[in-house]
Amino acid sequence: MTEFPLKLWGHYVRLTARWPSIGSLAPFLPVIAAWWIVTELQIFPRVFLPGPGEVVRSFGSLVYTGILPEYLQDSLVRLVVGAFWGVAIGVPLGILIGLSPRAHSALWPPLLFFQAIGDIAWLPILVIWFGYGLVTVTVVIVYTVIFPVIINTVLGVRSIPITLHRAALSLGASRARMIWEVILPGALPNIMTGMRNGLGYGWRALIATEIIVGTSGIGFMMFDARRAGSVVEILLGMIILGILWYIVDSWILAPVERATGQRWGLVTR
Amino acid sequence: MKRHWSTSLLRFCAPFAVLLVLWAVLVPYFDVNPRLFPHLMSVVRAGIEGIQDGTLIQHIGASLLRVAVGTVLALLVAIPMGVAMGISPVVSAFLTPLFRFFSVLAGIAWIPIATLWFGYGFGAITFIIFNAVFFIVTYNTLLGVSTIPLHVRNAAASLGAGRWAMLTEVLLPGALPNIVTGIRTGLGFAWRGLIAAEMIATNAGLGYMLFVARDFYKTEVIVLGMVVIGILWLLLDRLLLAPIERSTIERWGMVQRA
Amino acid sequence: MKDLVIRNLSKTYFDAYAGTQVTAVRDISLSVAEGDFISIVGPSGCGKSTILNMIAGFIPHSSGEILVGGKPVKGPGRDRGVVFQSFALFPWRTVLENVAFGPKMRGVGRAEREKIAHEYLALAKLSEAAGRYPNELSGGMQQRVGVVRALANEPDVLLMDEPFASVDAQTRMTLQEELTRIWEAKRPTVIFITHDVAEAVFLANRVVALSKGRVLDEIAVDLPRPRVWDELNEDDRFKSMTGRVLQLVRSA
Repeated sequence: MTEFPLKLWGHYVRLTARWPSIGSLAPFLPVIAAWWIVTELQIFPRVFLPGPGEVVRSFGSLVYTGILPEYLQDSLVRLVVGAFWGVAIGVPLGILIGLSPRAHSALWPPLLFFQAIGDIAWLPILVIWFGYGLVTVTVVIVYTVIFPVIINTVLGVRSIPITLHRAALSLGASRARMIWEVILPGALPNIMTGMRNGLGYGWRALIATEIIVGTSGIGFMMFDARRAGSVVEILLGMIILGILWYIVDSWILAPVERATGQRWGLVTR
Repeated sequence: MKRHWSTSLLRFCAPFAVLLVLWAVLVPYFDVNPRLFPHLMSVVRAGIEGIQDGTLIQHIGASLLRVAVGTVLALLVAIPMGVAMGISPVVSAFLTPLFRFFSVLAGIAWIPIATLWFGYGFGAITFIIFNAVFFIVTYNTLLGVSTIPLHVRNAAASLGAGRWAMLTEVLLPGALPNIVTGIRTGLGFAWRGLIAAEMIATNAGLGYMLFVARDFYKTEVIVLGMVVIGILWLLLDRLLLAPIERSTIERWGMVQRA
Repeated sequence: MKDLVIRNLSKTYFDAYAGTQVTAVRDISLSVAEGDFISIVGPSGCGKSTILNMIAGFIPHSSGEILVGGKPVKGPGRDRGVVFQSFALFPWRTVLENVAFGPKMRGVGRAEREKIAHEYLALAKLSEAAGRYPNELSGGMQQRVGVVRALANEPDVLLMDEPFASVDAQTRMTLQEELTRIWEAKRPTVIFITHDVAEAVFLANRVVALSKGRVLDEIAVDLPRPRVWDELNEDDRFKSMTGRVLQLVRSA
């Protein structure tokens, strides 16, 4: 009697074993179905909660008019630029702090404090200095990305066994060579974790900045729609945000993070 | 090597002392426009005024209250849900992608829709804070419960633990490292979401204080606000989160010392 | 202490990936008298852990019956104590609190149950470790805690699932001798699962050889007690019994 459900479950297990992405997508189907049912039954007024159909239609028209791709591009470009600078500044700083106890005692407390202030709190003064443009947004993203990157880089540098340092020294490596040949590769798994976290925070910071002081981008689109009272675009924006990040994180960042750790036989946790 | 806490505190404050001195000296030296960056003394004065006429205290109080209410509500719902979902491996495997997805949207991304649904004010902000904490804590609790080794759960069963004992003696302590990580991250999201929400959706609180000051170029208020925000979070971390972690999960050997 | 009877025990389960039913344990019958010590020996995958899990009540059995003191088994309970290969100590509780856990579940008051716990810790010569946390102890010490934690609850049957497989060879020998000493003091009914034939013969009164879910043979071990490795390693009867069991298990 339990044969049929068991067979079905067997099929599901085999399917997800071959294509794991199905396992990450399948749970959303009941949610979308429930959403559709709730909106069809008009439990909340249509103005407050539009259904999946309207969201998809809005997606279509925004893509057609070119608005969505343009906003998306704006957001992504800002994120990439900000993330790049965040990593470019954060990794060297992290290595310095990780290697030098003096740098650590001088820089670590201010680091914690400025991290505690948070990116959002900087917005008012950044707007005074740089106005409402690209510079403000980029600075916020750099600020957000830099802390996870530095912290994880420090962790990575410190977790390199001292025996590796000694091996390199006994083989004649200079300070500079040491950093390039030993420290960077040794800390790389943690640096990748830091970059992944940093990008996650950076993504959120970008949206927040676009909501508060933006003139284009997905966050701005959501805030603008709110001003016009149109919930559809807000929902669309949120869904796009979630999907984009989910894709980038699960299918690009996480595998890269795993691959660097695994290929070199290093344990990151 | 155990250091007395006063020594640690001094070492922590030393770099700030240097920074404060630099601030007090360089800003007047380079004749920086006070509309761009305030003098140290004007910030101190603004702080004293704010305490004396009560406005600073009011804003701090409003912000902290919202965070507290939103967080407590979220924890009351998230932890039981996370435990219930984490017990069954099938349920937790199925629901994990969902919660990971919603964790990304935590907090700030909900501001537009929250203000549409709840208008401006306490409701919208509490919703955003609830949101910021809820998804990430549920996800982490789920993760924590589902990674308790089966043997430990079996051991408790073979020692006669009933359902309630299993929950309080095994599931909750076992998931605690993940729960605390979730709370720490969630609070971070909540705090930032709070400031952001206060900037656009209300008329009290630290975010509001910052945003209004910007309109009037009162940089000393802005910097004061930023410093207060930084100090508040540090206090929250050192006085609330770190002690919990130290006396529980670090002592149990379940995580390395932070 | 009670006796344990297993009749025609079988376990089949559905392998989702292969899409078929798999039989892990086939028609096993066994009885263990009160206060007896039997070892179940077999290669990996022969079903011995499955049998133990079924007796313990962690997994349901497909057919047959398991009777403790004449009563059928329904799920885990304090009448069947378990010692796990991975120790399964509660990392958030001290050693003393771990050992006192069983009595606590029974509702024994704090002073009383701590007294019981101290007694059993003394039996295992672990009294100084009472206030420490499991992660501060070595593997061998942790497993000793695991053993007395199960014993302190005075189960009718003690089930031990390859308990010494995760410790180094020297510690293992010490633990085996310790176990026989504790057993002679308290005389619980013990079922000891292992893949190590010498260990099985060293510890038990009876060795059950298992392979592919079936019982191959039962061998009585009437070596005198107390048993000590230095002596038994030279003993001819020990060597011949071990040899016989090994042959059985390897040839199947």
